[in-house]
Amino acid sequence: MEQTKKPTPLSLFWAIAQINTVTLGGGYVIVPVMASTFEKRGWMSEGDFFDIFAKAQAFPGPLALSTAILSSQKLCGTKGAVAAFFGVILPPFIALILVSGVIGSIGSLPAVKRFLEGAGAVVPGIVAAMLWKTASKRKWTLAKAIETIVVTVALVLFPSLSLPILLAAIAALYGIEVLCKRSK
Amino acid sequence: MQTLEIIWTFFKIGVISFGGGWSVVGIIKNDVVPRWVSETDFRAMIAIAQSTPGPIALNAATMIGWNHGGFFSALAATISVVTFPVMAIAATTLLAKRVRLRGDALQESLRTGSLAMIAMTLWTLRPDSADPLVLAFGLAAFVTGAFTKVNALWVILGSGLIDAVAGPAIRSLLGI
Repeated sequence: MEQTKKPTPLSLFWAIAQINTVTLGGGYVIVPVMASTFEKRGWMSEGDFFDIFAKAQAFPGPLALSTAILSSQKLCGTKGAVAAFFGVILPPFIALILVSGVIGSIGSLPAVKRFLEGAGAVVPGIVAAMLWKTASKRKWTLAKAIETIVVTVALVLFPSLSLPILLAAIAALYGIEVLCKRSK
Repeated sequence: MQTLEIIWTFFKIGVISFGGGWSVVGIIKNDVVPRWVSETDFRAMIAIAQSTPGPIALNAATMIGWNHGGFFSALAATISVVTFPVMAIAATTLLAKRVRLRGDALQESLRTGSLAMIAMTLWTLRPDSADPLVLAFGLAAFVTGAFTKVNALWVILGSGLIDAVAGPAIRSLLGI
């Protein structure tokens, strides 16, 4: 089936805002839901959507945001991109203001304090799981392993220089990749 | 002007926030702990950011801003963290025909960068106490996250509830 239906910016905004209101768990959970919604509404096939998602990963910023902006831009230009921006930004902003307000008023109760401490204790485990999953999916070579370790050590040793370190590392690694490909 | 400091800090975080939300958590932490929030509060905030709708970096920005100076700081932090990403998308759209980057090479270098960022995040957020309950919650989160498809939300809520309801009882049983 060919995709012939075109959304209006407003319908894009509502669709994206709804997804961002009910989907918990960040970009990797939001993006697949967006893909299936766009396909169900006949706006874009899941295949096309995931092509855009692959491109979005090269951009800084939350994945849900860049994927939503790029796909909506393809569907209805700049207006679509603006609609997507607000669709992604507004629901979490409102939710977080409400949650922060509630925590502000009951956060000092001992039980709530323990709840937050228990929830916070989970964080290293989630990060370790992310690291495990990302690392095990990658096709490793010795060079890539060394590069990754060098950048990690630099980031750990110089936390206040993380921005220049990362920008320099990415530019250098990009250059190395291009040169290696050319010499083959 | 502390609001200006918030804007600048989160703008910088936005510049390097590629590779999915979790890779940038360590960088956010280096910038805001202990300047604006305590270590324990930061961990709780990240857990909340993950279990509320929306991207984690965005949610963390909103919450840290709110905590620091109420509604307008929250707004300033949220807008600042997405300013550079939005500019990057706009610039690429405008320049796409003139600049040709090797997409595959760029993705490989970004992959190395974001893996290093996640590894650094893990280092800076390693468990900071020997409390067996804290370690058990962390371990449970790692096992479910790495080997099952269970949403991290349930581990976060479960650990919070166990600690809220039974934390003191369990700790006194273990003799701490």
